[in-house]
Amino acid sequence: MGFLLNLLDRLLKVGQLDHTSRAGDEVFDQMQIEQISSCNSVVDGNVEEVPNKKIIKFNPPLYKQRYQFVKNLVEQHQPKKVADLGCGDVCLLVILKYQKCIEELVGVDINEGRLKWNGSRLSPCVGDHLDPRELDLVITLYHGSVLEKDCRLLGFDLVACIELIEHFNSEDLAKFPEVVFGYMCPAMIVISTPNSDFNSLFPSAVFRDSDHKFEWSRMQFQTWALDVANHYGYSVEFTGVGEPPAGAEDVGCCTQIGVFRKKAKATESAVLEHHGEHVYEVIYTTSYPSLQQMNYRRRVVTYLVYREVNRMKRTCQVSLRQHELEPESADPGNPTRKFISDLPVPVLTEADKAMEMTPQPFCIGDKFYVPLERIIAYPRLGHICGNVEKLREFLADVVELNCNGSAVKVDLHDCGDY
Amino acid sequence: MSGRARARARGMARSPSAAEVGLIQASQSPLSVALSDSEASSSSDHVGTSRISQKYEGGLSSGDAGCTFKERGGKIRREMMDLSVCTREKLAHVRDCKRGSSGIPVKLVTNLFNLDVPQDWQLYQYHVTYSPDIESRRLRIALLYSRRELSNKAKAFDGVILFLSQKLEEKVMELSSETRRGETVKMTITLTRELPASSPVCIQVFSIIFKKILKKLSMYQIGRNFYKPSEPVEIPQHKLSLWPGFAISVSHFESRLLFGADVSYKILRNETVLEFMTDLCHKTGMSCFPQTCEKQLIGLIVLTRYNNKTYRIDDIDWSVKPTHTFQKRDGTEITYVDYYKQQYDITLSDLNQPVLVSLLKSKRNDDAEVRMAHLIPELCFLTGLPGQATSDFQLMKAVAEETRLSPLGRQQRLARLADDIQRNKDARFELETWGLYFGCQMSLTGRVVPSEKIIIQDHIRQPVSAADWSKDMRTCKILSAQSLNKWLVICSNRAESVTESFLNCLRRVGRPIGFNVDHPKIIKVQENPAAFLHAIQKYVDPEVQLVMCILPSNQKSYYDSIKKYLSSDCPVPSQCVLAQTLNKQGMMMSIATKIALQMTCKLGGELWAVEIPLKSLMVVGIDVCKDAFNQGMVVVGFVASINPRITRWFSRCILQRTTADVADCLKVFMIGALNRWYKHNHGLPARIIVYRAGVGDGQIKTLIEYEVPQLLSGVTEASSNTSPKLSVIVVRKKCMPRFLTETGRTLQNPPLGTIVDSGATRPEWYDFYLISQVACRGTINPTYYNVIYDDNGLKPDHMQRLTFKLCHLYYNWPGLISVPAPCQYAHKLTFLVAQSTHKEPSLELANSLFYL
Repeated sequence: MGFLLNLLDRLLKVGQLDHTSRAGDEVFDQMQIEQISSCNSVVDGNVEEVPNKKIIKFNPPLYKQRYQFVKNLVEQHQPKKVADLGCGDVCLLVILKYQKCIEELVGVDINEGRLKWNGSRLSPCVGDHLDPRELDLVITLYHGSVLEKDCRLLGFDLVACIELIEHFNSEDLAKFPEVVFGYMCPAMIVISTPNSDFNSLFPSAVFRDSDHKFEWSRMQFQTWALDVANHYGYSVEFTGVGEPPAGAEDVGCCTQIGVFRKKAKATESAVLEHHGEHVYEVIYTTSYPSLQQMNYRRRVVTYLVYREVNRMKRTCQVSLRQHELEPESADPGNPTRKFISDLPVPVLTEADKAMEMTPQPFCIGDKFYVPLERIIAYPRLGHICGNVEKLREFLADVVELNCNGSAVKVDLHDCGDY
Repeated sequence: MSGRARARARGMARSPSAAEVGLIQASQSPLSVALSDSEASSSSDHVGTSRISQKYEGGLSSGDAGCTFKERGGKIRREMMDLSVCTREKLAHVRDCKRGSSGIPVKLVTNLFNLDVPQDWQLYQYHVTYSPDIESRRLRIALLYSRRELSNKAKAFDGVILFLSQKLEEKVMELSSETRRGETVKMTITLTRELPASSPVCIQVFSIIFKKILKKLSMYQIGRNFYKPSEPVEIPQHKLSLWPGFAISVSHFESRLLFGADVSYKILRNETVLEFMTDLCHKTGMSCFPQTCEKQLIGLIVLTRYNNKTYRIDDIDWSVKPTHTFQKRDGTEITYVDYYKQQYDITLSDLNQPVLVSLLKSKRNDDAEVRMAHLIPELCFLTGLPGQATSDFQLMKAVAEETRLSPLGRQQRLARLADDIQRNKDARFELETWGLYFGCQMSLTGRVVPSEKIIIQDHIRQPVSAADWSKDMRTCKILSAQSLNKWLVICSNRAESVTESFLNCLRRVGRPIGFNVDHPKIIKVQENPAAFLHAIQKYVDPEVQLVMCILPSNQKSYYDSIKKYLSSDCPVPSQCVLAQTLNKQGMMMSIATKIALQMTCKLGGELWAVEIPLKSLMVVGIDVCKDAFNQGMVVVGFVASINPRITRWFSRCILQRTTADVADCLKVFMIGALNRWYKHNHGLPARIIVYRAGVGDGQIKTLIEYEVPQLLSGVTEASSNTSPKLSVIVVRKKCMPRFLTETGRTLQNPPLGTIVDSGATRPEWYDFYLISQVACRGTINPTYYNVIYDDNGLKPDHMQRLTFKLCHLYYNWPGLISVPAPCQYAHKLTFLVAQSTHKEPSLELANSLFYL
């Protein structure tokens, strides 16, 4: 009974602690499972079982702090290829897939069922097709052991091993550095593991998870880490997440983290020997639409051009029938004015000024023309197309141009104003 | 548009508790109203013993993305409800054979695929309990799926009910799973049922399997269908993307299990709500922007940029900006800007945009909590066609051109889908583990019944084309016509000359067909709806036979106000013509002919007939349509023939308050129609055949229990000794099967009069498909007929051919139409009332087709 209450309690707390918010999306359901599966390794789970002692709660939950730590590393170092070893329920990958700099994201785990079950969480959503990313992104989930070498994991910029090593027995732990540091040899490795110094704050003397083979003190971890780093030519910095409560600062963070960075820019190993073995089994793979893909690029360009042309056309139409329009409210405090920034306000931005320098749109008869040079001055289009020739190429066969191909041609009056 | 939902959203958003924008809960009362409509079907299974079993009873999940049957299952279950109504076994004359015999056999290709299961195949249903009990559905699933005993088995599990294709060794199996925290959870799996492949539950499981398979083929489920984003059709000038995809279903047809797929397109707009708003703001100007914006956006469905969810916009909160904060579940405050940056690495460009408010439907039926989501316009894509797009000819044309598929094109898409299913490794694996075999496309034999002859004044002729005999009509006298002696024409000053020349034309075309038109009184008025109405009120007297209005524009208010006044307040047949139509050069004669024929009908005339072998038959069409203005109001139309030749009609219509599209007051209508018949024919008809359109899924039972008795009691009450015999046929224009004929190397639409009464029909019903219309481009949709009640005992062949004959009798179109004429009349009548008049038409007009 006590156990049941406890569990119930925890489930309730899961709800409280965990829900990120619902601003627009129902992350709740999603996060709940993340929490449940991840909270297996969240310390406060154990603590609760002895109700007399003070419960240590982390806010945000510890597992989230760890993911946030990796996310911060990504934001800071902008890696292109990132792997998560022991990715489990792929929660970290779900967070990282939104990072614009990443082009390849890999998860490896020994539990095939969980990868299969969770793979679909990584697939591109409808919005990714309508508004594609700037860079390609390929996500792959491999079923396999981190202790086996697979050449598809060579050449990574960041490899994360979050709460992984404490699940190894001593034999496996001995093999681990050779594979990850020696073979994969990524530019950066982040390893997190429980800090047993912190365990003194917990009531029970057991490990935080029944599958843990060991839990290291800071000294033990740092010794191991420095040793490995020296051996494979990495530097290492130590940090952690899960601040200790006031008065117990000397135990250090609940989770200790080592960030390893490769010392020498190993240019020779950059020439990757890709004809190694494929040991891992691909469980799931997906490729995101991106502007690198010609069909998506052309599509985005076309839509942007239509949008800009229509916008200019609208301005033109307004000025043509100015007298018919009601005078704009002169009241500066008029609340409606602030609803949307993107209104014909007299303040010119840099981009607007640049735009002013380009040839003006014009009308001939009932046709409205916008010179390509003006269109390309629109920053986003300029960024995607580069120059007028490229733009013209993109628009060929899709958008009507004038006879010398220097301007987009549309009807001045659209029949269907909805 | 739901005004109530909006008010509710408003009320809540602005209530004091809205300070924490997070999750706002409201009391039970307002929501239960809102949800009861859509989730009524699930209320019946609240019989479980524990809370959890209540929640999951009857619902299943596909097991991967966690989409529960519960959420999307409404339709499936309603279809299932229909299938449980076995009407055929009560109809002795078709119990053994419901197939017709006349006509020439024709080989047809369908969009149905054989789905084979081994003879002894069974589905095993288990009940799973957890000790200690666990509430989270995902955790329940995760724990069970982690067991090796089950990992390689084909399974579907929703947290409570587990389906397996292979029996477990023991009837009750106890498994324990250890969470990584070291807690042991005991799971007890108990066998509850063994189901044969024909069981409705299996059909549900098969549907889930195919949902999974289509997802494996990189398709996205949006709503009920599956779409492929990798091959979009782009219409950039209208900011539209069309995603091709399929509507799929698995069901038991005549003798076997079939998988059906039909091509479908999802319309997505390449426009965020913010872009739409900005655009609108430029168009409307500032002063009326918020109102216009709300008017145009509320009720639309948006798709969020960062996940696959769709939301309905219920309100716009202009007071909240992205820079404002909201409270997360953990109690911390965060601004929307920071939230989206942190969560999705999205930078909002416009910090002044308002937020959209959407009321979230609670997934749990028993839950009383209303949740609201705030959405950022910049991160929401619009879906569906823009509001007034249907009147945008260019846009509709562009969409139609892209989506209309030739028979061959459609077949190619289907073949590719079948190929993908058979080739994809995961899809094949899924089918194999369940023991299913995806077979070939089904062909069947239909029959083409002989074409009908048209009877026009004294002679019978075989039209040159059965699809359109308007040319044949020009020189022939119609069956009967009243001459038009006293009538009014109301037009604007500008349209005077065009009106004059039109009237000349009308007289000219009227003479050969036997319709005499005298000179009308012409009234010139100003160009506004009020002036037209005023003139009508002033000049219409009881002598006036008909009022014609030459409208200066297709502004709805002209039409609506005129029709409302002249069909209810002062019942006189009316004819509205757009001045613009009369300006079309070179088409005047054919336009005038069409209008002349319409006017004849409105005055009670008869145009043509077909040969009806049954000498004393009344046919009835019933349709139901939702009122465009008043929510909760439906319009029921009832149109009955009142002569044996089936050329004269009695039309009644009523507005009724109801949530289901089930007609009330049919008894009164039936008595009225029979009395009218009696008056004209001095006796009652021997047979009555009712065609009922506008039937939703899952309503067949209600029809049988509620509408048929009403009709029967009407029949009994109106007759003294022997009552006429009654048959009731449900007519559906939308159905899954499509039929194509192979000619040489290509595929074509089947010929007119093709009947299918085997293979794609249901064993438990007396049903058939009929193709009675042509499609110049695109693929024909057959019309589906289901005879749910039949005292007449006509041979299936006669029933089918009679139905085909009735498709010839719609006087607004000199050709064949897709449904029997009485259905189309009833539809036209309800449409007029639901869209324009919102008022029951006067009984005085019941004898004429005033609504054409």
